[in-house]
Amino acid sequence: MPVVVVASSKGGAGKSTTAVLLGTELAHKGVPVTMLDCDPNRSLSIWADLGTLPENVRALNDVSESSIVKTIKQYDVDGAVVIVDLEGVASRMVSRAISQADLVLIPMRATTLDAKIGAQSLKLIAEEEEAINRKIAHAVVFTMTRAIRSKQQTGIETSLREAGIDIIEPPLMERAAFSALFEFGGNLHSMEKQGNMAAAIENAEAFAMAVYKRLTEALQ
Amino acid sequence: MSDFKLDLGALRRTPKPAADTDIAKVDAAGEARGFVDRSPRGKPGRKKSERTGQVHAKVLPHISEEIANEATRRGVVQGVIIEEAWALYKASQR
Repeated sequence: MPVVVVASSKGGAGKSTTAVLLGTELAHKGVPVTMLDCDPNRSLSIWADLGTLPENVRALNDVSESSIVKTIKQYDVDGAVVIVDLEGVASRMVSRAISQADLVLIPMRATTLDAKIGAQSLKLIAEEEEAINRKIAHAVVFTMTRAIRSKQQTGIETSLREAGIDIIEPPLMERAAFSALFEFGGNLHSMEKQGNMAAAIENAEAFAMAVYKRLTEALQ
Repeated sequence: MSDFKLDLGALRRTPKPAADTDIAKVDAAGEARGFVDRSPRGKPGRKKSERTGQVHAKVLPHISEEIANEATRRGVVQGVIIEEAWALYKASQR
């Protein structure tokens, strides 16, 4: 089962929102998705416990550092996706989960602080690739972006691209519907109208498609 | 809204190194970058004693001294000595 790991050592970067949007959009398109909540804050479980889980989605928690590799392997089957939502700290659980990833997503807000801390994850991936002699596909996803791109975001994007880092397009914009997932649960398609729903769904779908494309490329 | 189609057949499992030696290498690479063991620890301090009962016994001074010395020698609490003495007493009553 292809494994997508959502990692950043910084809290509040948008890991859980990224994981939930990706998982629910893939599931909406018929992909069975297993979501592993590895964050002690249990953000993903909070979402999962709100109402009924969308079709094709299974959410699991109670994953520890010692069980993370085993748990990922347990759900490792063809034709489905595992999404791992990690804790926002630099921990051994993060490095172990990354070692089992087909694709690592590094969410970051368009701030210098997020970029600096996100860079730690990028360096970790590079070192793990060398340690286990395996290429680990990875990409940065900007979260909570605004319609008008800030100079800071443009600068960070340029630096990342110059360093050869892949950036997912489109970014996940700051949208009422995205944050409302943690208020109502479910997915964007079942949710009552929150702001511009059509734009939110379009953004989430395009993002999920971009991730799916990278995932299938990484699996070849 | 886009209408992309997903091919489940393209989502194929790929083998990843997960032997103990591989995980040790991953751990070492992570630790070098500050990604260290942060798993929750158990409660600090000594485990609570299961001996919550209490006897109120005054004994002769040399007896109390001998019980204390024996408990110290064996590295147990004085209650253990009294429990053993009680077990012997019960056995002798059968």
